[in-house]
Amino acid sequence: MTCDLLLRDARSVARIINLAHRFNCRCTRIDASAVSGATTASFAFDGPAVALTRLRAQIDRILAYEAPAGARLPEGTP
Amino acid sequence: MNGAQVAVAALEREGVDFIFGYPGGTIMPLYDALFNHAVRHVLCRHEAAAAFAAGGYARSSGRVGVCCATSGPGATNLVTALLDAYMDSVPVVAVTGQVRTDLMGTDGFQEADVCAITQAITKRNFLVDDPNQIAATLAEAFALARSGRPGPVLVDIPTDVLKAQVTEGAAPAPPPLPAAVPRAPDEAVRAAVAQIRAAQRPVAIVGGGVRAGGVEAFRTFVALLGLPHASTLMALGAADPDDPHALGMLGMHGLKAANKAVQRADLVIALGMRFDDRVTGKPDRFARGAAVIHADIDATEFNKIIPADVILHGDLRDTLEALVAELVRSQVPRFDAWAREAQELGGPLPSDRVAEHVLSATDVLDRFFAAVPPEAIVTVDVGQHQMWAAQRAHPAHPRHFLSSSGLGAMGFGFPAAIGAQFANPGVPVYAVVGDGGFQMCLPELATLRRYGVPAKVLLIDNQNLGMVRQWQELFFSARYSATNLADNPDFAAIARAYGIEAFAVADPRAADATIAAFIAHAGPALLHAACHPTENVWPMIPAGMTVDDLMEARA
Ligand SMILES: Cc1ncc(C[n+]2csc(CCOP(=O)(O)OP(=O)(O)O)c2C)c(N)n1
Repeated sequence: MTCDLLLRDARSVARIINLAHRFNCRCTRIDASAVSGATTASFAFDGPAVALTRLRAQIDRILAYEAPAGARLPEGTP
Repeated sequence: MNGAQVAVAALEREGVDFIFGYPGGTIMPLYDALFNHAVRHVLCRHEAAAAFAAGGYARSSGRVGVCCATSGPGATNLVTALLDAYMDSVPVVAVTGQVRTDLMGTDGFQEADVCAITQAITKRNFLVDDPNQIAATLAEAFALARSGRPGPVLVDIPTDVLKAQVTEGAAPAPPPLPAAVPRAPDEAVRAAVAQIRAAQRPVAIVGGGVRAGGVEAFRTFVALLGLPHASTLMALGAADPDDPHALGMLGMHGLKAANKAVQRADLVIALGMRFDDRVTGKPDRFARGAAVIHADIDATEFNKIIPADVILHGDLRDTLEALVAELVRSQVPRFDAWAREAQELGGPLPSDRVAEHVLSATDVLDRFFAAVPPEAIVTVDVGQHQMWAAQRAHPAHPRHFLSSSGLGAMGFGFPAAIGAQFANPGVPVYAVVGDGGFQMCLPELATLRRYGVPAKVLLIDNQNLGMVRQWQELFFSARYSATNLADNPDFAAIARAYGIEAFAVADPRAADATIAAFIAHAGPALLHAACHPTENVWPMIPAGMTVDDLMEARA
């Protein structure tokens, strides 16, 4: 499974790696870079299909919690 | 204004009336701003208790509970209660002091990277490094804690940032936009109604998600269909107390009718519940053969444990209202006959009541729940007394029965009652605790005393870490390793030493009168019930097993 993410909080990269580990998935690729205050991160994960589905759902939840009511990514982020 | 004053003003804008906490070096500027402030600080005697009190405040009121602590040990003492709030979806905001910005990363005195420590147990956390961001960050923290699936958020503020003058941003942060709430699509609602229409033996299971405003809609839904329904520990009180089709709690120590009805169901309608292993036992044998409709606001819960045939992703109240509208429109018939059959699958609660002259915990709790006023809020700690109480309580609303359910954290019950009492002045509040868990938070008697809050403690003292003792008896060849508390202190004397009225009962013949005197007492009080040491909780489905393995007594 691959995910290309735009994160408001760079620390979420660490959270996602830890979650993958907890769900018995392996993180096979991580590319992350800072773009005007936000972070783009691209991951590849290996693991049982069920665990990958759960991981993806959790990643979506992290993204939702990063951008709660009223929160905005910094100006100029793609 | 300095950062701390801006922070307290931000709390006030959020409607915070009480903040539960414990002071220390780095958080001192905040305490200075709280001095004589309209936002009242409640001094607990341990940060864990402060955070559990914030949880009790939130669980009993639906409003955000707030706690604060200093850096390092203060902040780490919050951790268990934050996880408790995370597991049970309780809106809590924790504000922690942090060491000076220039000391961060140097192993400074009382430095802890609390953001890293709590990343996995909060919805989100923030380290505020700019005093001008304090107001906006707190506004975001509150919005996040209470939106969607509620939960804890931590805001960590270095002490120099609290002290610094705020140049911009002292003014109120712009009100956060309402979060986008998912709504179950019409096709999914129609598919769910088609499943209900096709079912012979549908059973609803209601979970903690109902606490966020869904109680009335739930009652309307089950009443419309005459549907039998079971509750998780988190949702006790969701059912109308007079509903004849309520089956009570299901799961490991659930009532027989609830567990058997779910096992016989051909359709499970899961409402704001997450199929915890204490509910399902062995998932692949749970409700075998039943189709599943799963409604929840959090998409991560779908297909996590039990696959769903129909997914209803949305706020539970909206979902239930949409279901009711569609059910009325399509005139789905009622299930009263099946509901009566489901109720008959149960029977009286089994117990191993002991010799007549020895006080039995289940007897005490039967009498207690018969005597407490219907509007009372009851908190429980963790262990046998918790399960006995859950089997017997008839709360009028889920906010009237508070339990550390997902985490099962001992030391929760008593401080949660203190928090609940602050949120609900004038409402009778009781903590039902065991002798083990009560000793994890005894010093909170001082908090009761200081504020004169009339919350009361019913202590079920079986001189054992009873629940662990029960498992040792049943599954570890009666090898009682480290569970005997026969050398317990004199609890009534301890309460009196803190200036709290104490009642004690050991003779069953005195139980009713003592319970009545305890309930009638106007201020805070302890009732010490000296109970038989080896009474077990029945029924029990051993961990990882099914209702077919249900035990009702010692073998
Ligand atoms: C903080 C914490 N530590 C350990 C446990 C494990 N545990 C669960 S129930 C229990 C016994 C509780 O004893 P007590 O408070 O006396 O209540 P009882 O079971 O006797 O009613 C223990 C130790 C826990 N749930 N929480």
